[in-house]
Amino acid sequence: MPSENIIERERCVTGIDGLDNILNGGIPRGNTILFTGSCGTGKTTLSLEFLVHGALADENSLFVSVTESSDKLTTNVIPYDFFEESLIKTGKLAFVDMPVIYERLGLTNVEFSLEDVDTLVRALGNLVDELSVKRLVIDSITSVCYRLKTEEKIREFILKIGKALSNRGCTSLLISEISPSADRYSLYGVEEAIADGIVLMGNYERRGDLLRTLQVVKMRGTTHSRAKYVLDLTPAGVLLVPLLKGGGGI
Amino acid sequence: MIKSPGDLANELHELPPSSAINLKIVSDSYFDAIRGIVDIFANKKNLNVIYITVAIPSHSIIDVLKILEIDLTNIYFVDCVSHIMIGGAKKYKNVLYVESPTMLENIMLKVEYLIRKSEGKNNVIVLDAINALGIHNNMKILSEFLHIFINNLRAKDAYSMVFTMEEFSTDEISNMMKLVCDTTITIGGGGDG
Repeated sequence: MPSENIIERERCVTGIDGLDNILNGGIPRGNTILFTGSCGTGKTTLSLEFLVHGALADENSLFVSVTESSDKLTTNVIPYDFFEESLIKTGKLAFVDMPVIYERLGLTNVEFSLEDVDTLVRALGNLVDELSVKRLVIDSITSVCYRLKTEEKIREFILKIGKALSNRGCTSLLISEISPSADRYSLYGVEEAIADGIVLMGNYERRGDLLRTLQVVKMRGTTHSRAKYVLDLTPAGVLLVPLLKGGGGI
Repeated sequence: MIKSPGDLANELHELPPSSAINLKIVSDSYFDAIRGIVDIFANKKNLNVIYITVAIPSHSIIDVLKILEIDLTNIYFVDCVSHIMIGGAKKYKNVLYVESPTMLENIMLKVEYLIRKSEGKNNVIVLDAINALGIHNNMKILSEFLHIFINNLRAKDAYSMVFTMEEFSTDEISNMMKLVCDTTITIGGGGDG
């Protein structure tokens, strides 16, 4: 029987019904979550929906795009029925290109130093303060890690960015790219150990059918389902249903 | 035993929302069943119809509905067979396609999407037919699918109508339907079903 003394952490309701049910009400506010999966599994789409719902709920939301220009992103990835153009016009939903940040900070070296890591974390923290951001997505953290090279610097970056965002009450999704055959949740293996939560997105093949799946592997601060769900990306948002097991005989 | 579309609609009218009905269709009463549900019953209750086609492609059902002069405005289809037909099929705007009848989760997802789009209007979901799904799926996964699917629909106050073509039914299918459905209605034939 649960103790009455357990303090429920405030939730950041993702607005994605299925995911909020899996998480018993949403992501514990301030958590840094690794959204990981191979290409085409819906990571960017889902993270964008998380931001759009945040903006609609009056929480300033920021998408930091590392690999794709945000102009291209906004034209391609927002076909939602519930999306309102005014969210961008009023600054509730903002997009920033990471290469622009690098340039402004003078981070021109192919490999960042530990000082560069501090500079980058400070700049992102300032941006969160300046825009009063409550929800942040970095797409992808893997691309940032390419510039860090060593485990030490990756660990330093994830720890510091996680702490900086959490201290500001900002709930963040770090998008991580892995190969379909990967046996871990992040390219470098460091990110997964430090993040507060891991959401694994993948493709599940059953008798020749390829299903998009989502599984919450870890989430600090809440009980949650660890089952695999099948998802569909629709104009009404991401929809989820349980993966059928078929008695395990298939 | 029910003989006419009007009688079927009257019988269904008495059932509360969230009911799950196994509709056993005997011999040539298929079109009577369709008319009774998608035309008379749905109109009486002001329901959207979400019609899952597994036995035959949606365009064939649409052609039949047009011949029967049934208004298609509030009828949406989840078509599970057209994709696997060689040469493809004519596409309609009120039809969502599932790649294969083995993708049972995707059937649930398309229905969920259509329910969300119905914006407060209640729905009747027709699954035509469980025998056809049984061709492509084993009984374990099919039972699991029906159990989850129908309970989800109940939670949304939707009516579930699962067609069984009586001539092609098996004991396994009958037992499964008894487990997941509240009511069995037989239409057509001469027995006392």
